[in-house]
Amino acid sequence: MNRWTTALAVTAATALLLTGCGRTDGAAGPDASKGSIDNEPATGDITIWAMGNEGEVLKDLATQFEDENPDASVTVTAVPWESAHDRIATSIAGGETPDISMLGTTWVGEFAATGALEPTPEDLVDPSDFFEGSWGTAVVDDVAYGVPWYVDTRVLYYRTDMAEAAGVEAPTTWDEYTEFAKALKDEGATSGVSLPPGGFDSWQYVAPLAWQAGGDILSEDGTEFTFDTPEWKEAFEFYKSFFDDGVAEPVRLEGGEIEQKFIDGSVGSFFSGPFHVGLLLEQGGADFADKFAVAQVPGDTSRTSFTGGGNLAVFNDSENRDAAWKFVRWLSEPETQIEWYGISTDLPSTEAAYDDATFSEDPYLSVFADQLTDSKAPPAIPTWAQVSAVIDQELEKVTRGETSVDDALASIQEQATSIGTGQ
Amino acid sequence: MTAVTTRAARRPPPSKGARKQTLIAWGFAAPFMVLFLVFMAGPIVASLAMSFTDLTTRDLRSPFNVNLVGLDNYARLFQDDRFLHSLLNTGVFVIVGVPVTIVLALLVALALNTGINKFRTVFRVGYYAPVVTSIVAIAIVWKFILQPDGLLNGFLAIFGISGPNWLEDTTWALPSLILMAVWRNIGTLMVIFLAGLQGVPKEHHEAAMVDGANVIQRFFNVTLPALRPTVLFAAVITGIGFLQFFEEPFVMTRGGPLDATLSSAMYTFNQFGFGNYSYASAASYVLFLAIVLLSLIQFRLLKRED
Repeated sequence: MNRWTTALAVTAATALLLTGCGRTDGAAGPDASKGSIDNEPATGDITIWAMGNEGEVLKDLATQFEDENPDASVTVTAVPWESAHDRIATSIAGGETPDISMLGTTWVGEFAATGALEPTPEDLVDPSDFFEGSWGTAVVDDVAYGVPWYVDTRVLYYRTDMAEAAGVEAPTTWDEYTEFAKALKDEGATSGVSLPPGGFDSWQYVAPLAWQAGGDILSEDGTEFTFDTPEWKEAFEFYKSFFDDGVAEPVRLEGGEIEQKFIDGSVGSFFSGPFHVGLLLEQGGADFADKFAVAQVPGDTSRTSFTGGGNLAVFNDSENRDAAWKFVRWLSEPETQIEWYGISTDLPSTEAAYDDATFSEDPYLSVFADQLTDSKAPPAIPTWAQVSAVIDQELEKVTRGETSVDDALASIQEQATSIGTGQ
Repeated sequence: MTAVTTRAARRPPPSKGARKQTLIAWGFAAPFMVLFLVFMAGPIVASLAMSFTDLTTRDLRSPFNVNLVGLDNYARLFQDDRFLHSLLNTGVFVIVGVPVTIVLALLVALALNTGINKFRTVFRVGYYAPVVTSIVAIAIVWKFILQPDGLLNGFLAIFGISGPNWLEDTTWALPSLILMAVWRNIGTLMVIFLAGLQGVPKEHHEAAMVDGANVIQRFFNVTLPALRPTVLFAAVITGIGFLQFFEEPFVMTRGGPLDATLSSAMYTFNQFGFGNYSYASAASYVLFLAIVLLSLIQFRLLKRED
């Protein structure tokens, strides 16, 4: 009896609590920045969260900021990537946010929707200084939240020795790409090009193909998904053709496996970001540097690649927002970013930084710099993680022959529409 | 209600000393009670309440500014093919995994209890080691075993069988993970069964031997009935553990290929990751109900008959 009364009481209390609330429509309104930032030196404490390698080495760079702004002190908190998303969400829920946080480019839409991020002050930076695709990752509904800090883009890694033996050169078009991958396979590779048949984040391989074909993820006005278009069909069919022709083995290679298979020649080419250059040079031995090269991705109407990276955002609850934005502005200056590349090997998000000899004279980095001028990020909508998981799943059905391209795209369109753009 | 009041009325009025004792008792219990209410009961009630709302990431700063949606989340769950598929996977995992684990653990325990005398400790440690090993280390080792040119396929090749790519094959991925989970869980049950076997009266065995019962007859008529409570306990804890099937697909397959290893817990985890907090809460309460149901069935089936 007693237990039931308690249960009843709890239920009643919960019901009361819940009926007392309700969504108030449009109360939040559009976010607005709290004003422009002056050029005086920064003062006070600034706390910043950064993930992975950035979290470990950012302090080295921050000391330089402290030297230039003697009254300011920067506290860097390193957060592991795996728990970063949840930790930021928790800090927003608890109202205990840092002043600044690094954000994965695909998180901006989601966190901006909570109202926890402050829009970038109008005159803080010039958007045209940044790569167009990267700046787009910070913009939600025409409002910029923070700035792109470093960028990441995918290029084609290929075995030059195998390509030379087969008499082919780095492809520039889709047709050449098919021939190229076949030629590498004929040279003894199990996969002429290694592509994941599906699974986590495989959308990052197929979305660029749709962009290259002239398509996009959202309609012009950003309200509807456009997966049921001919461009996406072309992209899916092209992707599928590599598995149908047996040019790509339907095996998903994780980090650690792919380098080994590339070095031993069973993978002829693959798509990846800048970090693989260092890994391959380190693991391949002294003479491997002559056996591989990077090239811009092949294309159709464009040679667009995928871009990701890290952004910096300032929280609305920041107690020292002026200094926080000053630090963000400093971090996004080309000179700082060149310095930062030396510390972290993160690629600068500003175009001007690439005029520096560090980048323009490097055979690998110059390719990344070129690719960055034609690279794109997924739309900054809060539901993107969920929508992209649907693409991953349907793409796998296609590559494994479980469903047709048309059915898969119809299904993606339907599921994505029911998930919505979250706006 | 009447029963309660009459019983309370009949109770002698508490003396001053007794009341003081009650207060002291509550004082001792308070540290736990406070922690339990704040960190356990609170979130549990909150998540139940959450499952009837439309809370998502956008409400992080104003969690009470949400709409009540009643059973909508539950209705949507049962219209979601992926969730239904995950329930099916979890069901297969439990129905195959739990009996196999129990039978194997019992066999190992019997062998250690009677047959094996030399190196008994070595075997016990060997079977228990997987339980205490980090899942991350286990995942790496099992990937080496299960990869296309891995140990398992190398072993099968000796017999001229060319094995599949276990983790990338929609037919074999789930059985592979079941195998791995069974291997991980045998240790715990083995220890429980070993303890249970100590409690089987020797006299019963001796009496049965005098009556001419052989080893197998004695196992089914003496050992097993005596172990009934132990088996029930083992079935319940393994059932609960297996229904919450998460770590194996998380580290090995992320639910793939083609959702072949997507469990309900994994599905719930993904939904939390997407920021659909209320929907994910609803999914976890469905899983909770399944656990209650399975435990009830097990109690019913394995209850002592006397």
